[in-house]
Order: sequence, then structure tokens, then C-alpha cells
Amino acid sequence: MRAKRVKFENINKIFITGDGKRVNAVKELDLDVEPGKFVCLLGPSGCGKTTILRMLAGFEVPTQGHIYIGKENVERITPDRRDTAMVFQNYALFPHMNVYNNISYGLKLQKIPKKEIDRRVHKILELMNMKDFADRMPSQMSGGQQQRVSLARALVMEPGVLLFDEPLSNLDAKLRIHMRDEIKKIQMQVGITSIYVTHDQAEAMGLADTVVIMKDGKIQQVGSPIEVYQNPINTFVANFIGRANIFKGKIISKSEKECEVDILGVKFKISQNVKKDVGEEVQVVARPEGIVISKEGYKGKVTKSMFMGAYHEYEAMLGDLKIEISVSNPRNKKNYPLDSEIDFTLEEDSLHIIEE
Amino acid sequence: MKNFLKKVALFTLVSSIALGASKDKGHLLIYAGLMEDYAIKSTREFEKETGIKTEFVRMSSGETLARVRAEKDNMTASVWFGGPVDAFVAANEEGLIEPYKSPVADQIPSKFKDPNGVWTGIYVGYLGFVGNRELLDEIGAKMPQSWADLLKPEYKGELVTAHPGSSGTAYTMLSTIIQLKGEEEGMKYMQQLNKQVRQYTKSGTAPGRMVGMGETAVGITFLHDAIKYRKEGYKDIIIAAPKEGTGFEIGGVAVLKNGPDQEAARKFVDWALSKRAQEIGQTVGSFQFLTNENAIPPKEAQEIVGTKLIDYDFSWAGANRKDLLVKFSNATKTRAPKK
Amino acid sequence: MSNFRIKLETSIKNMKKMFYDPILFSTFTFVMVILILFILLPMFNVLKESFTYNGEFSLIHYRNVRDMHENFVIILNTLKLGVVTSTISTAIGFFFAYAMTYIKVPFKKVFSSIAILPIVSPPFVIALSAIMLLGRRGYITRTLLGIRNAEIYGFKGLVLVQVLTFFPVAYLMLVGLLQKIDPSVEEASRDLGASRWDVFRTITLPLMVPGIANAILVIFIQAIADFSNPMVIGGNFTTVAVQIYLQGIGNFDMGSATALAVILVLMSVSIFVTQKYYISKKSYVTVTGKVSRQREKISEKGIALPIVIVMSIITLGVFIMYIMIPLGSFVKLWGINNSFSLEHYRYVFDLGMKPIRDTTLLALISTPITGILAMIIAFLIVRKEFFGRSFIEFITMMAIAIPGTIVGLGYIITYNKKPLVLAGTAFILIIAFIMRNMPIGIRSGIAALQQIDPSIEEAACVLGANSKKVFTSVTLPMIKPAFFSGLVYAFVRSMTLVSTIIFLVSARYNLLTVAIMNQIDVGKIGVASAYCTILIFIVFIVVGLMIFTLKRMGINDISE
Repeated sequence: MRAKRVKFENINKIFITGDGKRVNAVKELDLDVEPGKFVCLLGPSGCGKTTILRMLAGFEVPTQGHIYIGKENVERITPDRRDTAMVFQNYALFPHMNVYNNISYGLKLQKIPKKEIDRRVHKILELMNMKDFADRMPSQMSGGQQQRVSLARALVMEPGVLLFDEPLSNLDAKLRIHMRDEIKKIQMQVGITSIYVTHDQAEAMGLADTVVIMKDGKIQQVGSPIEVYQNPINTFVANFIGRANIFKGKIISKSEKECEVDILGVKFKISQNVKKDVGEEVQVVARPEGIVISKEGYKGKVTKSMFMGAYHEYEAMLGDLKIEISVSNPRNKKNYPLDSEIDFTLEEDSLHIIEE
Repeated sequence: MKNFLKKVALFTLVSSIALGASKDKGHLLIYAGLMEDYAIKSTREFEKETGIKTEFVRMSSGETLARVRAEKDNMTASVWFGGPVDAFVAANEEGLIEPYKSPVADQIPSKFKDPNGVWTGIYVGYLGFVGNRELLDEIGAKMPQSWADLLKPEYKGELVTAHPGSSGTAYTMLSTIIQLKGEEEGMKYMQQLNKQVRQYTKSGTAPGRMVGMGETAVGITFLHDAIKYRKEGYKDIIIAAPKEGTGFEIGGVAVLKNGPDQEAARKFVDWALSKRAQEIGQTVGSFQFLTNENAIPPKEAQEIVGTKLIDYDFSWAGANRKDLLVKFSNATKTRAPKK
Repeated sequence: MSNFRIKLETSIKNMKKMFYDPILFSTFTFVMVILILFILLPMFNVLKESFTYNGEFSLIHYRNVRDMHENFVIILNTLKLGVVTSTISTAIGFFFAYAMTYIKVPFKKVFSSIAILPIVSPPFVIALSAIMLLGRRGYITRTLLGIRNAEIYGFKGLVLVQVLTFFPVAYLMLVGLLQKIDPSVEEASRDLGASRWDVFRTITLPLMVPGIANAILVIFIQAIADFSNPMVIGGNFTTVAVQIYLQGIGNFDMGSATALAVILVLMSVSIFVTQKYYISKKSYVTVTGKVSRQREKISEKGIALPIVIVMSIITLGVFIMYIMIPLGSFVKLWGINNSFSLEHYRYVFDLGMKPIRDTTLLALISTPITGILAMIIAFLIVRKEFFGRSFIEFITMMAIAIPGTIVGLGYIITYNKKPLVLAGTAFILIIAFIMRNMPIGIRSGIAALQQIDPSIEEAACVLGANSKKVFTSVTLPMIKPAFFSGLVYAFVRSMTLVSTIIFLVSARYNLLTVAIMNQIDVGKIGVASAYCTILIFIVFIVVGLMIFTLKRMGINDISE
């Protein structure tokens, strides 16, 4: 598969709604996706991620800017002639055709000889573990099966770019996880450039090589899953990926590689280069799993205590501040019930400063 | 909501009852063979004068004949009003007429009434030709002046007449020709005429309208109908009567045997024969000549007053109707059109 | 226990249950009596009469039908008409439906308003205008184009009139289906390399095939049952529906008429059954579930513009045809003397008011009865399990498929003799109105009821309400919109009914549509137009009043 590169250059998309309002769906988007990479566009609904995908497919036209697939500027190219294939949220299988015909549809349009079509379709069916499904009609299949056919239909085209529009959101939880793994496996096997839109951050974290987090039409952060999780660039990203406790801290001292921050009276050394000066206020992200039980630190009042099996979830009030704490492997550790006092502190290595 | 429904139900019930039960001074149902407007006005006037609730159903003479035949055992109407008397005679042969000699018939000359009171005439219409002046010019033909003229080549496909099987008018034409030429010659003529005919219409007045509309050049119809159309606004209509002599119709009135309102029926016949009843016609566009000696004929009919009439034998025409129609159908291989 | 035994015991239990509910029982009996008396009995009599000659069983009428060349031709004509009209109408209807769904069309409301026109207008309107515009003295043919011999009467004119009358039916049926196609299916197809034409050819059209077949069959039934148009503009082209009338009333030959009637019923019922039970089941469109997004309409000028132009021409044509009627009513003598004149109206108001009065009164009386009866029967069918339920449901469905001429024929045969002498009375006309309009009301009532959660009524029941109370206090208020739109429809249809009542008009009650037909028959186009205009006027007023009353009662949405 000759995976292609995708480049968005200064893309703007403005919609005019029925009642005359201007909606700026995508703002100044610059994104470069290398061939073979799996990129997830992640964000809450309305953030513009689907619009970007549809612009790439050709169903929307950018108000401003250029899109390149491979070396081509695809502005003038209609969807049917772009080198993309899309997997739709609601599968969009052709209800009047069986599985074989659904999958071979695009190949037939390209006038590929029947023998070759046959070979490719059967190969993909095997890949999907759906060898016996060739004659089935969409109405005779479950959601998961339909989604696999939808994926097969796109893959068999051997496109330069594979597009996913929240393909798993209509499946139940267990199936979703299973399909997620399947998709990842296949993508790695086949090596195709994939752009995947989702609002589910766990999905994005599991699938992506690169995560692009969006809000209100603008990119917030681009990075690997580890990157965006451990080093969120702003509070939105911090809160969107995983859970975060945001503390206000004051810089006490700083050097090139690290700084010391006072958070509510306790001092922490954080290995991060800050731009702000001594005495200024910064925000510090401490994830629930990065808060440890310790006598030296804070004392909070427990307002929630839930045993979740692999970890114990606490919510503690520190004055007005609500802190989420997650204690892993709670076996043999102290259990803090509701209304009791809990002693905790922040793990220095897990802290991250956000300068906004 | 419930109240509303109750009110509606009550209204429905009351009006149904009101509609269903309306028996008062007497009731009369008429089968009318003359023009609808004429029938409407006549029945209205009669009702005004006598208080008898009168209603009519308008049908051509062929339809009426079929209807009274079917209703032989339970006649629903009591009067047959208007339409050529040939059909009355035919009906009487089958025992469907109740003869009645009205006192008012004294004002009607004997040639316009049946001696036994089977039917009494109320109007007289002359059969003739109607033509479209403009169309005739276009095809380069003159208005025909005789039966013989009609067979001329310039009129081929430009002639329209009703079918004798469904129309009293056309039947009058048929029996006129037979009476003029005798059966053998007459049928030969009809065969030749058939070749000139573009279309046989169901109703006798249709030729006049078609000619007036310019759909055909010449038609055979009763002249008073042609005059009526001209008056309506079909300005290109011209009329002529055949030189050899023409037939005529007498429009009659008769009482139907076993009809439910015999007394009211007789009252109606008396009224229909009166001068004022007969003069209603010209107010609603019917320009026939009138039978009552005291009635004033319509001025629109002036131009044809001098037409040569044959000695039309109604009894003969009525008695031989079935027979002649069959012979006609066979000779021309046509059947009465249904529409 | 075998399946049959279980079914039988359930039926018996249901019957017993009914005896304990006197209201239900009496309603059920009442409904059964009505259906038997006024639908089954007339049909049975038609059938019986067709096999009777001189009082004895005989096949002579059917043999006549087969042997008489004339009748054979008429049957062929009817089939020909059905096929041609239904295919052309569906094609145009599909074109419109596709344009409205897929193309960015300006002034959408204008185009969609032609869809309701056939419902509110009398059956002659298009035929009348066709004569006025395209006949021998037609404005377009004679005045504008100078054609002398334009022949509008006959097969071609009839097809034109029927197509213009029926294509909105196809449009309504198909537009709903097209809107249900999930746009993402079509997007998927484009994504895989299909051009717009490929999408249409491989996706849209195949998905619509069941719907298109449906539309063709529905229109076929209406075309062959049509009486008024062939009567008025058919010329020498006779159809079975017309022939039934001519034989039955013109000739009083009930034997021929009934034999033909049976044949016509067989034709239309078999098509109806095919459509309902075979084709309806084959729809793919709804498999995709809910539509996921709004469709993006095509706005490329190259495609949109010619389509919009064609649509506009057709719509304009239809509008002109409707405008012709009021216009014609003010013209002294169409085609001959085009001066303005009020004489036609003078004639109507002077001599011709009786049909207007009679028809309006009868329609007003029968409408509420129709509405209520329809709701009651719909309620029984949907909510109550009882013995004979599917029977009732079946009868009312069949009633829609039977052409009006046959119902009229059946009534006149059945109600002409003692003890049921109803012919000639107002009753029979009211009953005819009710029986023709009730089935549609029942269908829409059933649809409305099926959308209501039965547990609401069950709740009322548990709290102590008997059948009647449940119906009046819970069900009826919830189906008000369907009820009132049923009323509107029933009134309009009663005012514009032709085929059934043509057999039933008598001296005492002359109906508006028949009067119009008579006037056209004698060539009085002006008076016919005046009557038509008045008819349309009355319909608009009454419908307007009904809608106004509804708004005051707080119901705002009647989707027709």
C-alpha cells in the first residue's frame, strides 16, 4: 500500500447557518501527517474534527487554505476521485447489496477485472475473519459485523489515506474495545495513513501514533499519547485527557532545568523549564494516580470513597478545593472511609507545570 | 370536546330526520325530455301555482324509454314531459302510458294531439340543417338546401348527426326520409348519407353545438336548437330547411301508467298545455313553435315559419321504431353511441 | 396443545371477554352490521346479479363480455390506460421527488403546494381546462398555435389529464421515501469512487425500486377506477368504469354492468393485494435506521438549473390549469366570444342552486359521522383483541380498493327493492359518502393510534375507566389531529365524489359534481366552470373554518 502524506495548510472553514449566523468551525489549521501514521483527531463534539475529516474526503470545501494528499493539492478533486476511503459512523453499508457486493463496489467502479476483484475481496474477508459472510445482507448482521464490513470495504480500495469517522461510537462497550484492537492490528499490518476522529479519549490514546486535540475549531496540542498525557499544554488538554487536579502554585526559584514551586504551603521540585519568573503564579497538574498517601503534605476531608477493584477512588476536600485521588492496588493499604481525614501529598516526578 | 361531539350528533340526527320526512301538499316526480333549464323553470312555476312539490330527472327520450320499461312494475315517476312523441307512442305500445284527455286540450289543434289522449303536444320543432358560415367558406362549400345536397362530395366527413338509436331528433330524421322515399330508397339514402358522416353523437342537440364551435361544417338537428346556440353566442351559425320537405317533432306530455301520483300528474298535464306554461320556453332559450292556439310563438323562430313540412305520421313512426332501428343499424353497420 | 387449538381457545376467550364489556360488544355489533349492510351486501349483490339472467343462474353475461368485441376492447383500453398513466405519472412524480430532495430548489413551498391540489379540487378541473386550452377551440391550440383540428377528446387527452391529476400522488409517496435514504450511504458510494450519475444508478434508484413499484400500482388502481375523466374527455375511448355506468343507467342492463363490475374489481383488488402484501414488504430504505445527517443538496448550476426549469414548467402548467376554471367561468362563450360575462353565475344562482345546496348539506352531515365512526373502528382494530377483528380490518382495507362505480352499482341494486328502499333518499347518499371516506379515516386513525403508547390507556383502565370512558377521556384527545384531518378530508371528498354517486342521484337530490358533468356534456363550459369555482370556493371556506376552529382549540398541526 502506498500510504500517502497528508498536509493541511492554514485551513479555515466558515459555515453560514440557516438563520444567517456565521460559525467558524475550523480555525487556522496547520497539520502535517506522515505516511503510514495513525493520527487521532480528538475533542468534544462541535470542535471541528469531523469537519476536518470531511474536508479531507472532499465532502466539504475549505473556506481558506490548502489540503495536500501526497503531493497533490486536492482542492479541485471531487470525492470520488480522491485517493481516500472512509469508514462511516453508522457503517453506511448499501442495504440492497450483500457483503461481497458492498466490498467490491469501489473496485467494480474502477473496472478492475473480476478475477482480481474476487481475489482482493476474499483476502480482505479473511483478514476480517468474515470468510463465510460474503452472501449475507446488511440487515442480517450485527453492528459489529457491519462495522467490519465497512472497514473491509474501505481497506480493499488500498487508498492512500484511510479516514475514520467515529466508527465505534455505535457499538457496545466490550465490542468497542475489541474492534479497537482489531483496527490497530490491521493498520499496523497494512501500514496505511489513517486519520481517525473520536471524542473518546481512551480510544484515541489506545490507537494513535499522534493525538491532535481540538477545541472550538483550533488545535490545542499535537503529540504522542504519552506526550499529551504527561505534558498537557493547557488546562483543557489536561482535563480532557484523563483526569487532572489543577493546583495554583508560586515559583520560588528556578533554573534552566528545574524549578521549585510552592503549592498551598508545600514545596515541590519540578524538572521543567519555565518561562515565568520567580514570584509569578503557575498552574500545576497532578493526576489522581500521582497523589500518594503520606503524612507529610496535606490533610483533606474524604467526600467520596469508592473501591473499584484495581484501585481505590477518593475525593477529598482541601478547603474549597476538590482533589481526586486514585490509590492503585489498594490491597493491604489503609482504607479511608467517608468523612474521615486523609493525608496525602503530590508525587514530584509526576507534576507538570502549565503556563497559560 | 365531549360537548362538541354531542352537539354535532344532535345536529346530524335532526337534519337527517328533516330531510327524510318531507310530506306535505302532494308530490310529483317527472321524467323530462326537454332542455334542463326549461324543466327547472316549468316545475318551479307549477309548484308555485299548485303547491305540489315537483321534481324531475332529465333524460333523453331513449334513456327515458329504457327507464320506464325497466320500471314497468314499479313506476317511480308519473309524468313524461317533453321529448318527441314517437317515443311516447312506442311506450304506449308496451302499455306504459295512461291515456288522459285534458280539458285544456281543447286549445290544441287536432294534428298536435293523439285522438285517444295517449299524448298531447306542447311544442313543435322543425328538422333541418345547421351550418358554420366560416367553416363552409374555408372548405369552399355552400349551405346545403336539400336532402339531396347532403350527398354532395364537398360535405364528405363534414357532416354530423345524432344516431337514431339514441336520439329522438335523429330518429325523426330517419322516419322522415323513409316516409319521403319509401323503405327501400330510404335505406339506400341512409347508407350513402352514412358515408358523409364524420361522427354520430348521442344527443340530438350536439350537432348544433359542434357546428357552432367550428368542429364540423354541417349538422342535422332541430332548427330551434340551432337558433338557441346562435343566441348563446355561436355567431357563425346559419340554418336552412330541406327543399323536399322536412319532418318535425311534436314534443308531448303524457301520464305514466301506474305512476304514484296520478292526480297530480293530471294537474300537471293541464298546466303544461296552458298558454302561460308554453310561453316559458322562450324565456329559457327554447325556441320551438307552440301548440296552444293562444300562445305567442318566439320571435326568434320567425325566419323558418314558411318551412315545407311533410305529412309526418307519428303513429306509424312510433309503431315501427324498433324495426326501423334494426334495419338502420344493419344498413350502416353502426350502433347507437353510448356517449 | 396444537397451535390451532390454542388459537381457537384464545378466540373463544376473547369473545367471552367481550360479553362482559357491554359497550364494546354493542359497538362491535353495530360496526359489523354497518359493514355487512353497506359494504358486503352490495358487493355480494353485484356478484349475484352478474350470474343471474331472467332469475336463474347463468354465465351469459360473462360470455357476452368475452364474446362481444366491444367489451373486450373496453377491457383492453382500461388496462392500457392504467399502464400508461401509472408509468408516466410515477416517472414525473419521481422526478419531482428527486429534485425536491436532492437539488437546491428555490421556492420549495410553491412546488410542494401542487402536491395537495388533487386532494382539494373536484375531479373535472384538469379535464375542463384541457378542453379550454387544448381543444378545438382551445386557447393554446387554436388561438396561439392556429391548429384547427386539435383533438383533445380521446386516449391522449385522457392520459394527459390523468397524469396531471395523479403525478402528485406519486410525488408524495416517493418524496417521503427518498428523504429516508441515509445520505452517508450515498457519501460512502462517492467516497469509493462513484460519480453522481453512478450514485444515482447504483444506489439511489435500486433503493427506490420497491417504492416506485408501489407508486405505479397505486396509481394504476386509481386510473382504472377513474370515472369522471374518461366520461368527460375520453371521447370514443371507453373504459370499464364508464361502460358500467352506461350499461347500468343508460341501458338499465344490470347484467352486463355487473359482469363488467366484477371484472374491474378483480383487476383492482388483485393489484391492491400485490401492492400491499408483496411489494410493501420489500423496502430496504429503512434498514439503515435513523438518518445520521442532513442531506447536502446539489447546487451545481449545470445539474440544478435544467431540473429546476423543467419543474417550473410543469408546475406552471398545473397552476394555469387550475386558474383556467375561475377564468372560464367569467367568459361568455369560450373560444367564440371571449367577453367578460356574469351570465353563467346568474344562471347558477337563478336556476342551479339546488345541487350546491344539496351537496354541501349532505357533505356537512356525513362528515362528522364519518370521522367518529372511523375513529371508533380504528380504536377497535388497534386496541381491542376480539373475535372478528381481522375480519373488520380486512373489509375496511378492501373498501379502499373497490372502485366507486361498483359501490354505486351495488347500492342501486341492493336498495331499490323492499324492504330496503333507500334509493332516492338522502340516507343512501349520506351512507355512500360515509362508506367511501371512512376507510381512509380508519387508516389514518390506526396510524395515529399506533403511535400512542397503549400503557396510557391501560393506566386509565386500571384506575376504573370503562371502554367508553377510556376512549373519550384518554384516546380521543390524543388523536385529535388525526381526527380533525380526517374530518377535513372526508368533507372535501364528499363534495368532490363522482363515481359512486352518479348512480344514486335522483330527482330529489342532485349533486354538484353530477351537475357539472351534465353541463360539460351539453357543452356549457362556462356554467361548468362557474360550478367548479363555487365548489372550490366552498371547500376552501369550510376547510379554512375547520383549521381556524382547530387553532382555537389548541391544535396547530394537521399534516394532511
